Amino acid sequence: MKTVDIVERIEGEARLNCTWENGFVKDTQIDFLNFRGFEYILEGKPALDALVYTPRICGICGQAHLKATVEALENIYKSLNEELVITNKAKILREIGLNIEIIDSHIKWFYMFILPDVIKLKENDLKEYSPLKGKRWLEACKTASETIKALAIIGGQWPHTSYMIPGGVVSDPTLLDLTSMMNYLDLAINFFEDSIAGVSFDKYLSFNSVDDLNILNEDLKYFTNLSFEYSLQKYGTSYDRHLALSDSSISKRGKIRQRLTDKLDLNKIKENCDRTFKVEEDSKNKEKHTWSKAVTYNSMFYETGPFSRAMVSHREFIYELHKSYKDSVFTRVMARVDEIAHLLHSTKELIKQVDISEESYIKPKISLKDIPKANAKSVVEACRGSLYHNVSIEKGIITKYDVITPTVWNLGPAIKDEKGVAQKAIIGSPSLDIAKIVLRSFDVCSVCTTH
Amino acid sequence: MIDSTEMVKKVFTQKSGRVDTNRGDEYYNSLFENAKNRLSTLREQEPLKDIDMMDVIESEGVNRRDFMKWVSATTATLMLPPMFAPLVAEATELMNRVPVIWLELQDCAGNTEALLRSSAPTVDDLLFDVLSLEFHHALMAGAGHDAEHQLDEAMEHFKDNYLLFVEGSIPMGMNGNYGTIGPSGETFHDHLQRISKHAAAVVAVGTCATFGGVPAASPNPTGAVGVMDIVKGKPIINIPACPANPANMVGVVLHYILTGQVPELDSLLRPKFAFGYRIHDNCERRAHFDAGEFVEEWGDVGAQNNWCLYKVGCKGPMTFNNCSIIRYNEGTNWPIGAGHGCIGCSEPDFWDKYAYQRPMASANIKAPTGGVEKTVDEFGLGLLTATTVGIGVHAVASAVAGKKSGEEGEDK
Repeated sequence: MKTVDIVERIEGEARLNCTWENGFVKDTQIDFLNFRGFEYILEGKPALDALVYTPRICGICGQAHLKATVEALENIYKSLNEELVITNKAKILREIGLNIEIIDSHIKWFYMFILPDVIKLKENDLKEYSPLKGKRWLEACKTASETIKALAIIGGQWPHTSYMIPGGVVSDPTLLDLTSMMNYLDLAINFFEDSIAGVSFDKYLSFNSVDDLNILNEDLKYFTNLSFEYSLQKYGTSYDRHLALSDSSISKRGKIRQRLTDKLDLNKIKENCDRTFKVEEDSKNKEKHTWSKAVTYNSMFYETGPFSRAMVSHREFIYELHKSYKDSVFTRVMARVDEIAHLLHSTKELIKQVDISEESYIKPKISLKDIPKANAKSVVEACRGSLYHNVSIEKGIITKYDVITPTVWNLGPAIKDEKGVAQKAIIGSPSLDIAKIVLRSFDVCSVCTTH
Repeated sequence: MIDSTEMVKKVFTQKSGRVDTNRGDEYYNSLFENAKNRLSTLREQEPLKDIDMMDVIESEGVNRRDFMKWVSATTATLMLPPMFAPLVAEATELMNRVPVIWLELQDCAGNTEALLRSSAPTVDDLLFDVLSLEFHHALMAGAGHDAEHQLDEAMEHFKDNYLLFVEGSIPMGMNGNYGTIGPSGETFHDHLQRISKHAAAVVAVGTCATFGGVPAASPNPTGAVGVMDIVKGKPIINIPACPANPANMVGVVLHYILTGQVPELDSLLRPKFAFGYRIHDNCERRAHFDAGEFVEEWGDVGAQNNWCLYKVGCKGPMTFNNCSIIRYNEGTNWPIGAGHGCIGCSEPDFWDKYAYQRPMASANIKAPTGGVEKTVDEFGLGLLTATTVGIGVHAVASAVAGKKSGEEGEDK
């Protein structure tokens, strides 16, 4: 039996095709059918223009793209042995911005995207978790909106922020600004304590064993109970290979295949278009079914995202959950929510480190226009995982711009007979509802995936 | 010297660049009566949601005075005289009479993100509890086939009465196959045509839906266009910007409730209440422009003192939008507040024309400054020439404007 279903409540939409055998998903294919063509648009544009284009790839992770672009452009200087001096202050402000965006995204994802589907396995009425009217849904929405104000203070606005430029940042926060940012983050911490985890923040951060699941209260307890009732700790396992391309304030770079290594070579990242539609080619080629490309590291699929970051960095609580429940839906969701706490903690620490007397920006000695030819890459850990930008310029004009988003790592199609990460995870699901939850556990973003 | 000051004076003082906010007592009195009648008709209608705005507001601990403060600010935003405030308050309570369907096409969801952050007494309640959002891909509970049914039902039930909000552009290339939706693989084009057919009005939200936005930037690989290029025979309201300011989305809905009509629009179908003046006209750094105090490069003494960002590429003088007043994220901040110039995101084709760090002098931009047929590079150069002599050029323009013509000789 074959079924085709639509997965919404993501950014954009995805089509999930399943083949069934004896009541289980035997094979699956994920189609992303919306394309905009950012890489084509960037070609021929002045290099600095990329700073306003790439954040628009996604309305949710624009900071990550902004940071990737600015660092790719700075890496161009580095490749010419003209490394720019970026003050500590500028570096910290960029990191703070990125972290806040991830916190915002994770809170919304838990309450708006995954929790309603999990609750619906049991209840018809979502009650306080109902979109647009449930009390908890509205509280989560409000918390996310308040948190993101901390970013708006230094970034001007959110979404689609522009405050990073090669050489630093344009903003110059005052002490009052920094205090306000702290206050917004404290609101999120209160929400985490009162509604998400139901335990004190410090207690939660000290979690280091499976038994700690018993201490949880509120929504994480609700989620945990539902997960075990519907075996979400068993479904959704994939290759269990993990990749984090960049260091971040809460995680290290590295990969886990059989064992952990921090040796990464960006040249081993390869894109594959076997299943991907081509621009201007209205073909009927059956092999091609999506606008998403596939990507591998050293010819292998890797999962990326908060769960992989927790694994690579050996974050105790998630690491222990993984020992019992592998790379299941349950562990993957827990890892994303767990990251909220760690990010809130480390972002507050970062704000304390901002030295307002430092400079925000130091002008590059040479202009990109005076560089005959250069190429550079950058990597950033975004909400959904590792983001990679690769830019080539000639006299300040972009000649090629390649973007590989986290969702391409997780949600890209198969290569030959090898299934993509999410695809493999969906196989074996006992129902369409579970299959959709497995897909959603990767935090699907159709617009990022296809860009 | 005199040429450039004359030019600047023209640019910043001529009437066509501004909105005439006072349309006379007769006009407002008649509008007031119409609105009153309209609201009482709406009040007789069955609410789509059984929610009382004032209950919501009180239960959330917002007092009446705060609500009225918000109402008077909103009344001003809609460019209505203060006597309309009680009607705006009433219209807010009647938001649950107007059904809204929200479509996402070739987009990044940035406007949905902005909507989640709209400013109101209790934002979420005002918008989500009271506004009857009948369909929204990303925010509603249903998904998949359920969602399709929900959309069909909403369209049938509210036939010819719903406001259709559209986020994202429409790809016309390759027979529309750059963007399809739903299990049947309907193209965005067909989808929009089908759903707009029975809408009372179509509101294009964000620069993608209005002017094609990023996807339409050169070379426009997917043949992206805006809603107004596709939908014909319907009132269309454009709320550009990237993202659009949610205050303007609420403003359009309120105006519709209040009058049953679309607000007054400019030639680009933008509501004049929001896009009738330039960023520059109300910019918090305007005094520094007038005083000739400019940020020369990021991080300099000017940047640290919040001076004017014109010389580092701010497009405020050419960009029509109210974000210098409304700001973003519930008034927290806006790009210029954070030290970044305006990128002109509410103007057509801004992607190709206004990219923000390209020096003005080398960009061949036509400034939509109301009849001044000069390219912006000339315009910019004129200004910069003026400022090099250490005078705030605008201050000079104002001073000259205030003097008798015979005294112009002093201005050397």
